Amino acid sequence: MAHAEKQYHRFSVAQRIEHLVLILSFSTLGLTGLIQKYAQSGISQALIQFLGGIESTRIIHRVAAVIFVLGAVYHFIVVGYKLFVERRKATMLPGIKDVKDGIGMIGYNVGLRKDRPRMGRYNFTEKVEYWAMMWGLVLMGLTGFMLWNPIATTNILPGQFIPAAKVAHGMEAVLAVLAILIWHFYNVHIKKWNWSMIKGKLSHEEMEEEHAGELDEIERGEAGRIAPLADIRKRRNIFIPLAVVFALVCLFAIYQFVTYEETALTTIAPAASEDAPVFSVPTAVPEALPSSESNGNVQPGFHDGDIGKVNPGNFRDDLSLLAIAPLGELMTRV
Amino acid sequence: MSKPRNNYWLAPVLVIAGVVLVGMAFLLGFVNPVEAAIQLPPEQGPDNTDCLSCHQNPDQTMLFPSREELSITILPAIYGGSAHKNLACQSCHTDISGYPHPENNVELYRYYALQYQDTCKNCHPNQYVEIQDSVHSNLFEQGNLNAPICSDCHDPHSQPVTAKDAEGKPAYTEHAAIANTCGDCHSGIYNQYRQSVHGEGVFVNKNPDVPSCTDCHGVHTIVDPTTAQFRLSSPNMCGDCHTDETIMGKYGLSTDVLSTYVADFHGTTVTLFQKQEPDQMVNMPVCYDCHGIHDIRRSDDPEYGLQIQDNLLVTCQKCHPDATANFPASWLSHYIPSKEKYPLVYYVELVYKILIPTVLGAMVLYVLTDIYRKVMNRRKVKPALVAEVVQQSQPQEAQVPPDVPETPETTEEKAKEE
Repeated sequence: MAHAEKQYHRFSVAQRIEHLVLILSFSTLGLTGLIQKYAQSGISQALIQFLGGIESTRIIHRVAAVIFVLGAVYHFIVVGYKLFVERRKATMLPGIKDVKDGIGMIGYNVGLRKDRPRMGRYNFTEKVEYWAMMWGLVLMGLTGFMLWNPIATTNILPGQFIPAAKVAHGMEAVLAVLAILIWHFYNVHIKKWNWSMIKGKLSHEEMEEEHAGELDEIERGEAGRIAPLADIRKRRNIFIPLAVVFALVCLFAIYQFVTYEETALTTIAPAASEDAPVFSVPTAVPEALPSSESNGNVQPGFHDGDIGKVNPGNFRDDLSLLAIAPLGELMTRV
Repeated sequence: MSKPRNNYWLAPVLVIAGVVLVGMAFLLGFVNPVEAAIQLPPEQGPDNTDCLSCHQNPDQTMLFPSREELSITILPAIYGGSAHKNLACQSCHTDISGYPHPENNVELYRYYALQYQDTCKNCHPNQYVEIQDSVHSNLFEQGNLNAPICSDCHDPHSQPVTAKDAEGKPAYTEHAAIANTCGDCHSGIYNQYRQSVHGEGVFVNKNPDVPSCTDCHGVHTIVDPTTAQFRLSSPNMCGDCHTDETIMGKYGLSTDVLSTYVADFHGTTVTLFQKQEPDQMVNMPVCYDCHGIHDIRRSDDPEYGLQIQDNLLVTCQKCHPDATANFPASWLSHYIPSKEKYPLVYYVELVYKILIPTVLGAMVLYVLTDIYRKVMNRRKVKPALVAEVVQQSQPQEAQVPPDVPETPETTEEKAKEE
């Protein structure tokens, strides 16, 4: 049974680190995003307070978003290298076989077929996740940009796109988080703890269950085949400059994304001075009263009785007394 | 301490008598609890004839060293219509008895008025407590002797009893008079208020539903409206009336204004700060930043109304200076998206309302079939003894829905019996 104890290499260290970064940024985005979407609930408010308030929650969300997008840029470059330089098989591309495998698995599960379909390196459950993640990346990136830069967006698009983006961003988040909880957690944690993203390997039994097709390929020696080294070198010389340009363009785009406009986020500088209130409420500005009008509505005897009426005389000369004299002194005089 | 001991029996008797009297007063409904401390004077008018023999003469004045001249004529007709008509002059002017009056050498009229500052407390202790933390009292304590004291708002010789509504607040019939009183000092605000939708309701339409100054600022407890606390809690203040269907229904106004505000970025931020950091000044707009403070206009006012997108754009640009013509529509204007209003938002929401249960439902269904298979397979590899029996029941199980796995359990029991 040496066969059964054999471990099959599945993910490189780089892939596992990439996945870890994805876990961290995705979870942070999901957590800090959903508590903003449901900000009026008690749990959300407790978490927002724990994270240092709504403003820092939003900043954390944005930092995680940038990490998430940077991860995506890295991923595209790596995938590009594997497909175009190394000429590996595009094992993540969905095809008719995945539909058949899906139907086959359901058939197997409900007892209509005896054996599992023999699925490839990435089976249909994984492809669903991967492409859902890609869809989410694009949609969340676009709507996130719109929410982050509403003024830039409305220079081009109708204003309604902003609240529509907010709805889409929030509901896509609910969909993504629940999909991860149902689909991903079930398939790799609950059904059976899958160690491949931690230890990098799968056992023969696990391979037989989920990637029997790949196992066949491995045994035939066809799996993980790459182009001859000379070709790789040639293509690498073309790919690397392209990748650098792509990365720079992406980094520039992200920089723009983050810094394009500020008024949607930050406090606009108070006009007068730093310690002036952000918004000043106008205080009483002495203005001429429309006295005939205003007194017309007053109840008789309320204001126009002559009791207590003061004739200022030369009172104005003494205004300085009221304004300058310290309270204590005045009170003794009173 | 120096009192003789045999007087101690008085205390309980007095307490009991007091409790009984106050209790009776409550029961009979003669005394408003808030006003309980006011000792009601006798019904028959006081004998003020001695004072009035001089003071009802016209042109009675008092000259201050500042050369201010104070009219001290008391017309019985006006005093008789005031809330204090049953009080003797000396109830307040305790320092004056007989003629000639004791000399009073204050330099200014204001000092003279301030001499009576604490007089009102004797009969109106609750109101006196209420004003202690008010913005006016704070101003006064900071040394501004022009800050209003009781008599600046309530002329003690002429003010009639204030009509109250069921909640004990000034009745709407007092609204115009209240605004006029505040307007004596806050004339700039007063002029704005008169032009506003609320001021118009008070002054022109005598509308009982619109607020006067005290409805938002409080009667005596007037707090500083420039604080962060006031700012952050102000949406609830506006919401008190604007979420009340019985009031808003009459004018066809939406009662969703607060919930839609809270649901968007501005309102979410403000309400969270209100709960978590009420002292933090926040630049996110509250109701009055967009709608105006005292100059609130109708939303369809051609010049200022926010229903007009051009007016709204100007409002947006106060905080978002770069905003352009499309930007105002990114705020849903307190509407809940529908097919007619903001259809794009409505349909995006609709799509997700279908998409989410469809996708998740499909996932759950698949997971359930997988769980079912796992459970079945585990039973299959149980002790060899039962294997046969389980296999016999296999074809049946295939059609049983996953949540009623009755057959395997019963077969297992049978196996155990064997």
